[in-house]
Amino acid sequence: MSEQGRIRRKGYEKGDEEEHPLYRYVSDLEEQTGFPLLHTHRIFLKRRGLDSRLKVLILVLACLALVSRLFSVVKRGESLQWMMVIAPLLYLQWDRCRVEQEAVVVMPTLGVQLETVYCSKSVKRRFVPLHRILLPVINEAVTPTTCYSYLALLLRDESRLTLTFLHVRPPLSMLVPIRAALCAAVEQPSLQTAP
Amino acid sequence: MDTQQKCQMRHRVLMVSDFFYPNFGGVENHIYYLSQCLLQRGHKVIVATHAYGKRSGVRYMTNGLKVYYIPRLPFIQQDVLPTLCGSLPILRTIFVREGITLVHGHQAFSTLCHEALLHARTMGLRVVFTDHSLYGFADLGSIHMNKVLQFTLADVHQAICVSHTSKENTVLRSGLNPEKVFVIPNAVDTAMFRPDPSMRPCGTDEIVIVVISRLVYRKGADLLVEVIPEVCRLYPQVRFIVGGDGPKRVRLEEMREKHGLQDRVDMLGAVPHAEVRSVLVRGHIFLNSSLTEAFCIAILEAASCGLLTVSTLVGGVPEVLPPDMIVLAPPVPAELSNAIGRAIELLPQVDPFSMHNRMKNLYSWMDVAKRTEVVYDQSLRSDDDDLLLRLSRYYACGPWAGKLFCLVVVINFIVWCFLEWQQPAKDLEVTPDLPPPQAFADELN
Repeated sequence: MSEQGRIRRKGYEKGDEEEHPLYRYVSDLEEQTGFPLLHTHRIFLKRRGLDSRLKVLILVLACLALVSRLFSVVKRGESLQWMMVIAPLLYLQWDRCRVEQEAVVVMPTLGVQLETVYCSKSVKRRFVPLHRILLPVINEAVTPTTCYSYLALLLRDESRLTLTFLHVRPPLSMLVPIRAALCAAVEQPSLQTAP
Repeated sequence: MDTQQKCQMRHRVLMVSDFFYPNFGGVENHIYYLSQCLLQRGHKVIVATHAYGKRSGVRYMTNGLKVYYIPRLPFIQQDVLPTLCGSLPILRTIFVREGITLVHGHQAFSTLCHEALLHARTMGLRVVFTDHSLYGFADLGSIHMNKVLQFTLADVHQAICVSHTSKENTVLRSGLNPEKVFVIPNAVDTAMFRPDPSMRPCGTDEIVIVVISRLVYRKGADLLVEVIPEVCRLYPQVRFIVGGDGPKRVRLEEMREKHGLQDRVDMLGAVPHAEVRSVLVRGHIFLNSSLTEAFCIAILEAASCGLLTVSTLVGGVPEVLPPDMIVLAPPVPAELSNAIGRAIELLPQVDPFSMHNRMKNLYSWMDVAKRTEVVYDQSLRSDDDDLLLRLSRYYACGPWAGKLFCLVVVINFIVWCFLEWQQPAKDLEVTPDLPPPQAFADELN
C-alpha cells in the first residue's frame, strides 16, 4: 500500500517462522522512493492460556478469601473493609502497568526511538540522537534465578548502558536482526539494510 | 552413537567453584589453566562462580573462556550461603543454555560446588569432583564437612585428587570407592617461572632463603618464628626474604625486632602473583613450612625458578619433587634448621637451568588436561542411574544421615520437576558457541 508517495513494506514476522511462546517479532520498513524513512522493530507480548488479567483477578480474590478467613479467626472483619478498598486499587495500578509491546524505531540520520506501549494504550517514548550512539551491543544478564540476553546502546560520554527493551526479554534470534539494523544506521547513517 | 564414539566426542564442561579469579590461589589457578588447556584441545569449557563485589554477570577471559559470576555474595570464607534448592533455577538455566554435558566441581569447602553437583545429578548430567586439600577427622567442623562430602561423593561418577595422600584422605573421609578416584597432580607454568641467577647477590657468599606464603597457622608461620632466628645464628651468611601477609605477620615482625634481624630478614608484605617470580629468582633456597599440604604448587614454582627447596614432611609434599631437588624435615623447628643446613651444603651442586628443564618435562598443564580428559571419558562410560538407584546410594550413608540425604534429593527432584513445568527446557534459548581462537583452530585442524 502507498500513501502520498510513501511505500510501506511490511517485513517478516519472526513469530510465524519459529513459534516463540511469549513474544512475536514484527519488522516494519517505511521508505519513500527507495530512501528508507523508518525501520520499526516491534516485540509483542503474546497472551497464552488464561488472560493474565483473569489470573491476577483470581489471585486477588483468593488472597481476599484467605485474609478474610484469617481475620475471622483473629478479629471480626474490621480490617477486611480496608482490604476491599486497597485490593481493587492495587489491581488497577497493576493493569495500568501491563505492557503490550515494545519497539525500536530506527530513523536514519536522526536517531533511535525506544517505545513502550501499555495495554492501557499509553505510550512512553525515549529518543536517542544518532551522534550519541557509540555502538549497539548484545550482552547476557545474570540474575539470581535466570540468565537472558539483552540489547543495549553504548552512548558516548555515558557510563551506563541504555537498554532498548525494558519490560520484555526477547530471545537472541530476535535481537540479532535488530542489532544489525542499529549497527547499519550508526555506521552508515545514509543507508539502511532491510532484514 | 556407540560408547566409543561418545567417549571421544567433544565435552561441554562446566567448572564450578566458589574459588576463581579475581580471587587468587591454587584452586583458582588450577581451574584457569585446566580450562585453557581443555579449550585448546577443542572442548567447550564454561566456569561458574559467585559474584565478587560489583563483578557480576558474564565475563570473557583469554581465548574466550566464559565465566558466569552468579550474583550470590560470599557468606563466610568466600563461600556462598548454602540454600540447597536456591541455586537450582540459575544453574539449570546455565546447564540448558550452554548445552552442558558434564559438571566438574572443585574444592570440598565450596558450597556452590556441592549444590551444582547435586543439581547436575538431578538433571542427569555427568559429574566429576576434584578435591584440592587435606582435612582432618577429629574436630567438629571436619566431622560436619566430611558428612557433606559423603553426601556429594555418594553420587559422583568420578573423583580426582591432586596426590596419592589426598586420595587416601578423601576416600577415608567420604567412603568413596577408591576405584572411582583418579590421581592427577597439579602443574606449573614453567614458561612464566624461569630462573635468573643474575638477580641473586653476586661477588659475596651470601645465601638468600625465600619464603612466600600466607602468614597463617596452617602454613606454618609459627614455625618460621622459631626457625629464622636459629638459622641466622648458625649461618651468618644467610639472609631471609619473607613475602606474604596474614594474621601471623605481627609475630614475625616481633621476632625481627626482638633478635635485631632487620638487616637480615626482609618483610615484603603481600606479593601479587605476577611478581612472585621476581621475588623467587632473588633466592637460592625456598623454604616451605606448611603444617598440611595436599600438593603445594609453591614448591613447583620455586623449583621451576631453579631454587633448592626445603620443606616440612607433611601431606602430599614428598610426592611433588624428586629427592635431589628437595630436602624434607618433620615440622619441628630444630629439624627444619638442620634441613636448611643440609640444603646449604648441597647448594654448589644445584644448577638452576637444569632444574628448570627437568621441571618442564615433569609437569605441564597440557598433560593434566589430557589426563582429565580420560576421567571425563570414563565418566561417560559410567552407568546412568535413575532416581531410585541414586536414593539407595544416599540411604546407605548412615542411619540418620541416609534418610536426611534422601529427603534432600527428593525435594531437589520435585523442585526440578516444578521448574520443568513452569519453564520447559525446550523454551530456554541455547547460546551459540563462540568460534575457537584462530591459533587453536589451526592446531585442531
